[in-house]
Amino acid sequence: MTHPRVDAIAREAREAVAAARTAAELEQVRVKYLGRQGAITQLLRALGAMSAAERPLVGAAANEAKREIEGLLDERLGVAQEHERTRARAAARPDLTLPGRRPPRGVVHPLKRVEDEIVEVFAGLGFSVVEGPEIESDYLNFEALNIPKEHPARDMQDTFYISESTLLRTHTSPVQIRTMQAQRPPVRVIVPGTVYRRDVADMTHSPVFHQVEGLAVDRDISMGDLKGTLELFAREMFGQQSKIRFRPSFFPFTEPSAEVDVLCFVCGGGGCRMCKQSGWLEILGSGMVHPNVLRNVGYDPEEVTGWAFGMGIERIAMLKYGVDDLRLFFENDLRFLRQFA
Amino acid sequence: MKISYRWIREFVDLQITAEQAADRLINAGVEVASLTPVAPGLKGVVVGEIESIERELGESHGHRLVLCRVSTGSQRFSVVCGAPNVARGMRAAFAPPGAVLPGNRAIGAAAMHGTTSEGMLCSERELDLGEEHEAGVLTLEPDAPLGADLVGHLGLDDVVLEIEITPNRPDCLSVVGVARELSALTGTPLRVPKIALVESDEDAHVLARVRVDDPDLCHRFTARVISDVKVGPSPAWMAARLRAVGLRPISNVVDVTNYVMWEIGHPLHAFDWATVTDATIVVRRAERNERLKTLDGQDRALDPAMLLITDPRRALGVAGVMGGADSEVTAGTTRVLLESAYFLPGSVRRTSRALGLKTDAAYRFERGADINALVDGSARAAQLIHALAGGRIARGMIDVYPTPHAPPRIRLRMSRVRRLLGIAPPAETAAAIFDGLGLPTERRGEELDVRVPSFRRDLTMEDDLVEEVIRVWGYDRIPSTLPGGAISLVRLPETRRQDRLVRTALVGAGMVEAVTYSFGDPKSAAVLRGPEDAPPVALLNPMSEEASLLRGHPLEGLLGVVATNVRRRQPNVRMFEIAPTYVWDRGAPSASATREPRWAAIALTGARGDAGWDRAESAVDVYDAKGMAEHALGALGLHARGRSGGRLAGFESDSHGVLISGDDGITLGEFGEVAATVRAAFGIDAPVFAAVLDLDAAAALPRAPSRQEPLPRFPPVQRDVAFVLGADQEIAAADVDAALREEAGPLLRDVALFDLFRFPDGRRSLAWRLTFQAADRTLTDDEVNAIHAGIVQRIAERFQVVLRA
Repeated sequence: MTHPRVDAIAREAREAVAAARTAAELEQVRVKYLGRQGAITQLLRALGAMSAAERPLVGAAANEAKREIEGLLDERLGVAQEHERTRARAAARPDLTLPGRRPPRGVVHPLKRVEDEIVEVFAGLGFSVVEGPEIESDYLNFEALNIPKEHPARDMQDTFYISESTLLRTHTSPVQIRTMQAQRPPVRVIVPGTVYRRDVADMTHSPVFHQVEGLAVDRDISMGDLKGTLELFAREMFGQQSKIRFRPSFFPFTEPSAEVDVLCFVCGGGGCRMCKQSGWLEILGSGMVHPNVLRNVGYDPEEVTGWAFGMGIERIAMLKYGVDDLRLFFENDLRFLRQFA
Repeated sequence: MKISYRWIREFVDLQITAEQAADRLINAGVEVASLTPVAPGLKGVVVGEIESIERELGESHGHRLVLCRVSTGSQRFSVVCGAPNVARGMRAAFAPPGAVLPGNRAIGAAAMHGTTSEGMLCSERELDLGEEHEAGVLTLEPDAPLGADLVGHLGLDDVVLEIEITPNRPDCLSVVGVARELSALTGTPLRVPKIALVESDEDAHVLARVRVDDPDLCHRFTARVISDVKVGPSPAWMAARLRAVGLRPISNVVDVTNYVMWEIGHPLHAFDWATVTDATIVVRRAERNERLKTLDGQDRALDPAMLLITDPRRALGVAGVMGGADSEVTAGTTRVLLESAYFLPGSVRRTSRALGLKTDAAYRFERGADINALVDGSARAAQLIHALAGGRIARGMIDVYPTPHAPPRIRLRMSRVRRLLGIAPPAETAAAIFDGLGLPTERRGEELDVRVPSFRRDLTMEDDLVEEVIRVWGYDRIPSTLPGGAISLVRLPETRRQDRLVRTALVGAGMVEAVTYSFGDPKSAAVLRGPEDAPPVALLNPMSEEASLLRGHPLEGLLGVVATNVRRRQPNVRMFEIAPTYVWDRGAPSASATREPRWAAIALTGARGDAGWDRAESAVDVYDAKGMAEHALGALGLHARGRSGGRLAGFESDSHGVLISGDDGITLGEFGEVAATVRAAFGIDAPVFAAVLDLDAAAALPRAPSRQEPLPRFPPVQRDVAFVLGADQEIAAADVDAALREEAGPLLRDVALFDLFRFPDGRRSLAWRLTFQAADRTLTDDEVNAIHAGIVQRIAERFQVVLRA
């Protein structure tokens, strides 16, 4: 429906819409034609003054023109706004290759990390964690563990003394004694801690190092159970394809005793620099708790059996992370530690 | 201990290589550290005879050069030689042209001093068989077969096994012992030759007497006498064998005692009989202030716990450790008194340590010698002395043996084997294993009666036999099972849980964890010790002065780490350590008990964070240290107030604060700027800010049970207030903060200091934001304004401060 009085304005408005380039110009067009004082608005407002015959014709045409222009404006405005938004974003486009704003990253010391891993594996196997003092009595560190004074086995653990009868523990085994003294079997504990031996620091020795020991005592517990448990541990620690090997050894507090090797995970047993061509890596010492040790804590070796094992955390960490100098752990050079973040 | 594989094979006819033998030993618990060929670089060197010395060629480097004619039986060579010991008719090591010496040194004909030398006569050192060079060429016995290959003649086609025994296996400290082990492991019989001695008519008991005054330390003492010996150098074969296992040849008689020690494992000692007063040996403890000059020339002070070998006049030797200098066998000795004895292991060990004297003999005695094998040792040595030094072996052996050793019997139940190992071999297999190891065994069904001979004193109980069975049968046969038994709750110590919370919080806040030695250096410890502090815990036997104390201050280790990193050009250090200090329990070393209080130590230096494209670098200050400590306490569910002051040494006095538990006034930690004197002691140039948390104190505090509070339903209203504090007013921000809380009444929700400004004249402006909120209504402006105005007025009056416009 058209009407000559409307057509001219409508045409003019259409052209104005088409000519507008920006959202602002479109808004001006809206005001000019559809605003309070706008041409089409004015026309509609003037309807009352028209004749009854003309009023419906002009009214209908004007309303149609209003709807048309509104539609056109909305459409163009959407396009223009989108265009403008795009331009604005393009102008402020972030360089996403700039580094992200990261919070500073802390590091758990690799020895603590490995200690935690070891402890968690054994906690999963039902071992409780116990701790004890680093300054110990000669009795708990040696004699209760079947290492009397003037026994050559004391050479294996050259010792720092505080007084004649107190020393820096050479292993966490005194905590095993404390635990057994305090409770009846069954016992299943894991003992992490700092230990000391009078060794000159070099690539593989340190006067201060860390151990995790385990102890299980029960009515019927065998060396086979020890092997099975350590096999599980090796798989968790060094990968599911890990294999272990038992070799006879000697510790005064276990009988029989075994040194435990894990199949070299660098060469898979073929022989390499890491395993000194042997195919195996020594990881821990273990054995069946010596009957004298059981007797020393008031257990009856005919009634219960038990096993114990002990490993150096540094040794495990060195193997796991390929660290070839133990001293690095105690130097605490940030460039070293940050590699474990 | 080094052992020759050829030597082992004199006692067991092994059909396997040295490498295979080493593998078997390792798998049975005898560690073989290395395998070394004895003379790998020696080819074509033969036994030659110097037929004549043709002429002198003059001097070279102080040596008289001669031209010799050397015969190898089939061929003659003209050889230039400068050795002082060349003599006509002598047989010696000769490298003809074509021979190769160690170090790939090819020997040819060479022009020398106007003539041609066809090959060379070689010294020990040139053959890499020993150190000797100045004495001249390596001489061989007059009956050494001419032209024979030297390697074969001296038994140098051999491999030396370096054996490392565990302390329980002194029986493997000998050729026979290792041969016995290999015999058991391979099923090859052990053949120890019977020693047949040709004895003279003289009775040893007439030539010498032995008295043991302290039989508690000397369980057996035997002596033999060999007369008319001729002391001289050992023959080349023995010297070569001793050298191959790392022993230095001395003289035939002394070398025999070492040779027998290596072969049988029993240490022997040869005295010059003529030096023994009244030919009487007395074994007794040392007297007070007694002294002895030992073989190594040292004059040693003895103590009454040490056992000596003496004569009625003086000490002759330290029993089982080392002989005396003035009774040793010398070139002039003609009659030898040969000691073969058993000394108590603990006594020898104590004496050896007290004298600081580690000898091959002491090493064996302290691990336990074989009280019966010493008889064989004595006979074998007498036989060899007779063979090498001539003379006559007196009839009989003096043997003081008051309480003969009775071989113990141990019963082994196969059920015990199964119970300990989870598996057991058939009883007859176990019995065969014991037979192989030289342990006579009787089988009674599923039980074995095992007799333990004197060379296996390590076997004292049933479980020891279990290990022998599985050691030989094979550890790889132990099955792999998992323990049964009841399930019990896995428990973690509270301390460990606490460590973990602190560690996680600090690492989450960007801190790097350190682990340091527990030792302290007296120099740096001194600057970290307050005047009131007890003396530090010290080691009796430190490895060095710098590591002679135990950590007495929680920052001691960490500051060393800061120093290391700063020195290595890493100026930004934000680290922590969770570790104990070591202190006397009642503050004084007289009370021997110690405590190990646990600490978290924090140290910061350099920049707060690395500078980046979006931010400048800013330096850490004391509030970083304090905040980090508060953050860690927060992780433990604890809230602390800061206060100036503190007990620990090591902080600048004007920048030292304590963290006090909000409710009960317990000190949970200290923080501040590390004192310049401390930094100087550690060699750190940059300012360091630190904090320590007393984890034991923190653990002792009751933690408030966590309860959720309802979310506020009505909006908060905020008001800011700023006060100006005069330059001369010492008012702590925390005091104003506390007063604000006190004055504000129940509608106050929060107080936060949000601005601090210092005027050039020293006045400070502090601004707080107060948040008010009611649980049951929306607060009106009028209501809040009234409260606020009241607070401002009261604070201004109380602290005499001015409200900032």
